[in-house]
Amino acid sequence: MQKLFRWASKWWPGLIPLAVMWGIAAWNNTLPLEADLSARSAAALKNTVLDKTRIAVAGRDVSFAAEAFSEEGRRDAVTAVETVPGVRLVDDLTRLVPEAKPFVWNAERDVVRVTLSGSAPLPGVKGRLVEVARKDLGGIEVADQMGLARGAPPRFENAAMLLLDQVGKLKDGKITVSDTSVSLSGMARELGGREAIAAALKNLPEGFSVATNDIKAPPYIFQAYKDPVAATVTLTGYVPDNTIHAAIATAAGRKFFGEKVVDNLKASIGAPASFGNSVVAALGALSRLSTGTLVVTDREVKLSGDALYEGAAADIRAGLGKDFPKTWQYKPEITVKPAAGPVDGTVCQQLFSELLTKGRIRFEPKRANIDPDSAGLLDHLIETALRCPNAMIEVAGHTDSDGEDSFNQALSEKRAQAVIDYLVKAGLPSDRFTAVGYGSTQPVAGNDTDEGKAQNRRIEFLVR
Amino acid sequence: MSFLLSFHWGWLVGSLLLGLAMGWISVVQRGSGTSKVLARWLAVLVAVLVAVSLARVIPGRFGYWLDLGLTMFGCYLVGCTIGACLRDWVVSRSAPAA
Repeated sequence: MQKLFRWASKWWPGLIPLAVMWGIAAWNNTLPLEADLSARSAAALKNTVLDKTRIAVAGRDVSFAAEAFSEEGRRDAVTAVETVPGVRLVDDLTRLVPEAKPFVWNAERDVVRVTLSGSAPLPGVKGRLVEVARKDLGGIEVADQMGLARGAPPRFENAAMLLLDQVGKLKDGKITVSDTSVSLSGMARELGGREAIAAALKNLPEGFSVATNDIKAPPYIFQAYKDPVAATVTLTGYVPDNTIHAAIATAAGRKFFGEKVVDNLKASIGAPASFGNSVVAALGALSRLSTGTLVVTDREVKLSGDALYEGAAADIRAGLGKDFPKTWQYKPEITVKPAAGPVDGTVCQQLFSELLTKGRIRFEPKRANIDPDSAGLLDHLIETALRCPNAMIEVAGHTDSDGEDSFNQALSEKRAQAVIDYLVKAGLPSDRFTAVGYGSTQPVAGNDTDEGKAQNRRIEFLVR
Repeated sequence: MSFLLSFHWGWLVGSLLLGLAMGWISVVQRGSGTSKVLARWLAVLVAVLVAVSLARVIPGRFGYWLDLGLTMFGCYLVGCTIGACLRDWVVSRSAPAA
């Protein structure tokens, strides 16, 4: 031992090269060592769930800042870094993610994008929500403005996924989850979308409830356009079901005597109440116009176009509102077609014959009450009568051979008179018209078929 | 410690070799070494530095450099001791023959 101390007293000169080596070693190794520790600390945190993780290494000391989603997770993360071999001290700057109270999450859709905002409980959930939104919403831009917060209700992710699916059914609108209550507003993309969303909301996970559902259905639109040049009436838009579709198509066929009905209607739910009756009434008004457009939007009816003469315009403006339920709005924009030039009696007769070939004046069966479906035809007859103000006109009634002759004779007379009354009410002088009834004495077709009988039941206008 | 050894083994082996050389020389070197008083003070200084290092008082890079320096110094001392013992053994074996 004595010898060792004696030798040791002579070891000091070696300290000088040792110090030089120390300096070089420190110079060369500090940065690689720090990089190595930093990489291994990050690797140790790979399986932990953290936000805003920041690792700074000085020498062998690690400064570790992060936001954790639970106290346990936070402690585990710190321990993971502490146990990295080579780490000397860990400066623990971790904290818990702030708790959101209430926990609010929003999905908002406008024309160009879907914006997700509010809070998500975990980075993984946040990522999945954005991914599902991108995938399910058909390529629309998804803006992620979500932050992270603790305090999400249980089964939040399931609820949010279900609601994201509903965002796809919206044209625009906003869905908000506040703790466990769900609020929805906006407009559905398609008819029936509102109902589909309401049905889907029944599948919300246990604990969640719908606070407000202000999703509006898109307007229920029915349109009809009467084009006198192409001689067509085009029906577009929606009808509630096939029965009403058939009723509307039949009514259109009866009302538009000279035009071909082009039926482009689609069946869809969401129609307002009394839709069928109101549309049929509105089509009756459209049939009295020379050219016109009918637009039924939910409970609003817009009718625009040219009436054939002033009296008809006033009648359409005033009369149609009565046919709609009280809650409906009626907006007529009726102008009067410029009066056609006067013609002589021969031309008038020709025009009457043409009109009465295309369509027939209809009456209630076995009675002399004019069917409202004939209003369009009568307007055309009145317009024609106005063009030859000096012609005297005989209105002749005919019936088929069914029933007794005396009844048919009386019925034909009454029907002819009913037509004259209609014309007079429209403003034509009564002394221009004479009513004549021929009963079944002048058939134009055989009375042995229904078709023939229908042809024989007729009103004729004869210029004298 | 094992991390320091594995990460800096080259430098530590260098320190050890330096110590071996220094120990080898010290056995036969003439002249006086450090005085006892100075040696004690140095021992105290080293003890304090070791204590500081173990207590992890100095933070960051300086703490790391201190650990590295002390480890290299330790290796140097070990090298010195082995070198001196080896040389002493060689000298004592050859002396009777001479």
